[in-house]
Amino acid sequence: MKIALASDKAGFELKNYIKNYLENEGKGYEVIDLSEKPAADFVDSSLAVTHAVLDGKTDRGIMFDEYGTGSAMASNKIHGMVTANVTEENTAHMTTQHNGAKAIAIGAGIVGNKRAESIVDEYLGVEYAGGRHQIRLDMLEKLY
Amino acid sequence: MIIALGNDHIVTDTKIKISEMLKAMGHKVIDVGTYDHTRTHYPIYGLRVANLVRDGKADYGVVLCGTGVGISTAADKNQGVRAALVADTTVAKYAKEHLNANVISFGGAVVGEHLAEEIVKTFLAAKYLGEDDDLVKKIDAVESKDNPEQHDNPHFYDHEMKLWDEGFYHD
Repeated sequence: MKIALASDKAGFELKNYIKNYLENEGKGYEVIDLSEKPAADFVDSSLAVTHAVLDGKTDRGIMFDEYGTGSAMASNKIHGMVTANVTEENTAHMTTQHNGAKAIAIGAGIVGNKRAESIVDEYLGVEYAGGRHQIRLDMLEKLY
Repeated sequence: MIIALGNDHIVTDTKIKISEMLKAMGHKVIDVGTYDHTRTHYPIYGLRVANLVRDGKADYGVVLCGTGVGISTAADKNQGVRAALVADTTVAKYAKEHLNANVISFGGAVVGEHLAEEIVKTFLAAKYLGEDDDLVKKIDAVESKDNPEQHDNPHFYDHEMKLWDEGFYHD
């Protein structure tokens, strides 16, 4: 599975920490780092991940900034995007199963390194459930 | 203030608690539903709240579903709406002070009743500081082209609901 990462300045250290975690733990992910240098702001970094996902260049994405909520707010403005601002493990796997979340956002000022590891594992470790949830995704897809 | 309140069937009880709190604080609440625990779909209610905020019929919106992800995403996909999904008051305060968020969202099944109340109170009490106009404009400019159909249209989801009633969507 391909995972795209991007970050502004405030999320940069956590982005690099998670990049290292995903690449070096034998997890088998292909990490696409869209922020070798920090983006100018979280709008730019979140949109980099958004376009990578929607263009099929990555399977899922993780956006980093200071509070998380801004990356989700900006990226969800894009038609077809579903980004979850996640601060704990339960939402991380629920949002994959129920919302088919195409990316998650993590606020580096809010979530510590170890929590971020668990969040990423939960987010990437499950699949979208489909079924009754699909009507909600079809409804989201109609919103521009 | 006028607060638009929306939720799905998972978190109706929490919504009612928030509604009661808001009314006790002296706010006018427009509760767009859902009103019971019958299975329904969060985009319907996120869209209703977004329409009220977008048209100035409500000052702010509060939206909740199980995790808050789905309903906040639905609300955010509307012109003039900046929906912030949070799980604590720190981020709720930031979202208003710096992003000028006009819809606050949380996971009604994730945060407890007391924290949910605190998140909403903190969000409403905070003021946009006016320091981030460029950033706010940049977020607004990301908005995809408008879909006039989704604005103030009670029949917007009739097609999906017909398919649902016919059993098209099943586990």
